[in-house]
Amino acid sequence: MPLSSATHAATSALRANRAPTSVSPQEVHRWLQSFNWDFAKNRTKYPTKYKMAFDTKEQFKLIAKEYARMEAVKDERQFGTLLDGMTRLGAGNRMHPRWGETMKVASNFLEVGEYNAISGSAMLWDCATAAEQKNGYLAQVLDEVRHTNQCGFVNYYYSKHYHDPAGHNDARRTRTIGPMWKGMKRVFADGFISGDAVECSINLQLVGEACFTNPLIVAITEWASANGDEITPTVFLSIETDELRHMANGYQTIVSIANDPASQKYLNSDLNNAFWTQQKYFTPVLGWAFEYGSKFKVEPWVKTWNRWVYEDWGGIWIGRLGKYGVKSPPSLRDAKKDAYWAHHDLALIAYAFWPTGFFRVSLPDEEDMEWFEANYPGWDEHYGKIYREWKALGCEDPKSGFIPLQWLAKNGHTVYIDRVSQVPFCPSLSKGASSLRIHEYNGKKHSFSDDWGERMWLTEPERYECQNVFEQYAGRELSEVIVEGHGVRSDGKRLIGQPHVRGDNLWTVEDLRRAGIVCADPLAD
Amino acid sequence: MSSHGNPSAMRAAARGPGAGAGALSIKDADTSANKNAYNAGIMKKTGAEFAKEFFDEKNQVVHESNTVVLVLMKSDEIDAIVEEMILGPGKQANPSITVEDRTGFWWIKADGRIDVDTEAASELLGKTYSVYDFLVNVSSTIGRAYTYGSTFTITSELMGLDRKLADV
Repeated sequence: MPLSSATHAATSALRANRAPTSVSPQEVHRWLQSFNWDFAKNRTKYPTKYKMAFDTKEQFKLIAKEYARMEAVKDERQFGTLLDGMTRLGAGNRMHPRWGETMKVASNFLEVGEYNAISGSAMLWDCATAAEQKNGYLAQVLDEVRHTNQCGFVNYYYSKHYHDPAGHNDARRTRTIGPMWKGMKRVFADGFISGDAVECSINLQLVGEACFTNPLIVAITEWASANGDEITPTVFLSIETDELRHMANGYQTIVSIANDPASQKYLNSDLNNAFWTQQKYFTPVLGWAFEYGSKFKVEPWVKTWNRWVYEDWGGIWIGRLGKYGVKSPPSLRDAKKDAYWAHHDLALIAYAFWPTGFFRVSLPDEEDMEWFEANYPGWDEHYGKIYREWKALGCEDPKSGFIPLQWLAKNGHTVYIDRVSQVPFCPSLSKGASSLRIHEYNGKKHSFSDDWGERMWLTEPERYECQNVFEQYAGRELSEVIVEGHGVRSDGKRLIGQPHVRGDNLWTVEDLRRAGIVCADPLAD
Repeated sequence: MSSHGNPSAMRAAARGPGAGAGALSIKDADTSANKNAYNAGIMKKTGAEFAKEFFDEKNQVVHESNTVVLVLMKSDEIDAIVEEMILGPGKQANPSITVEDRTGFWWIKADGRIDVDTEAASELLGKTYSVYDFLVNVSSTIGRAYTYGSTFTITSELMGLDRKLADV
């Protein structure tokens, strides 16, 4: 019987590449990679406008057995620490309550990012042609499954041990009513899995992971420890031990396209769009979570951003690639403005809309205010006086019937949602890089907060059709919306979101109903 | 080993609902002479002085850096490797290496490159310890990190562009 061409190729490859006789994993890795073939035509389901090279390498030389052994050790250490030592120490209930609320946001949102990164890295595995590059992407697929479980476990652990489990136990049920969910899905889902495969790699690996996981997953552990939380460092630092391979994957994506002159046509605009997309959400949300969601401050968020985003990612990743045509993102100037102010802008809106959250928020106290003013000169005059006024109006007390979003409406501070990033913004109060612009397309109005997102929308308006929370609930009474959107605790009366982190004096659905708030779409005629 | 404060005291101060009467900030050791320190350069400045430099025109574009950053999650093995290898022969070979204690992790920055020989680590730890064992606790890398045999390297070189990645 004649041999098939595939059998013939395999036999020839085995003859040319004898199986290694040692047990060195890296020798095995080299041997396995020799079973590669050149694709006459790459039959990927996920094509790219770039040409990815066939000979791209993998930096860590993984084989399945060493990978599995390595990850098993990580899990044994992490779960052993949590389920034995941490439980015995009562660690789940020893952090400051502000921080316990911050972790409702951080872990639930990161879980969504990890879940979508499974798809993103699988898409790249399918798209690439170099065997080693595929190997790196494939290990990332497995990592992302692990991370999804780890994030879920953080909330599960908090649900069992933290004194206020509401929001840790099932945040996702509130996803339609919370204005922060859709922006999170724009960076953590759409940015990672939609469109050109290499563009997704730039979003996920080169920017999301190489840049923003350092503040999101590493720097956060400093804040956690300072606020009494040893659970988060145990899990998040373990997650990050996989992220360095993902950063390498993103870099190797660039290596694989760098020598193709045609790449220069797209690379810098794709990098700028990815940087803006990711920073537009992460910059304000992380700054808000760290500074407003903690009692004990590590350092101003703008310094964390300057170190990990500007100096290290900018200088060591992007700056070094300059001789291969990679340019400093033109949106950096606006991103820096956001790094200084946008989290303060977001904090006002997050506090004003507290009933829509799956977490409790708290007003800055006098000590916080002093810290903010010392580190962000001008903070007190702009933001501090608003918080003082809200406090005087009784915003924490259910008997007052006062919710700060009423104050925003009464004083003409309209809140819009940026169509591209889905991030809410208030043009009349914003000190970050946000200003209002409105376009009409196909009979529908769209608001935007910055040049970069507006430009992306003008290029591909059909890509950004997501209905925002104001459009969805226009004309509806707020307490009715909150009940419908599952923003109520298990007793069916008290709200999950609260404007303080004390255990008493919780707002109920009835308190909210008495406030008589009706949702409005600022773009409605 | 340089440290930036007293993490134990810091942890002790933040406990449970309602705990913590006063704000506590981490006070950094004076590492002002070391350009690779966690709070070097602009990071030493505060308030308006920081803002002035942050928004200075020259800082509105990225600047190429020849440094690398390595984040090691603390563990029994890693603490020994940091103390005995990175701050020992490692720092002798590359005096720019700076190690700082950031509570859950060691933050390490250096010019050029950092190498960790896991065969030497095996001898130090008294057990088999490969690069894959080392990777269990490598939490982040900024620069190009790779393994070659028993050595873990992070370098500012553009591996795969400036120089090919080698097989064993």
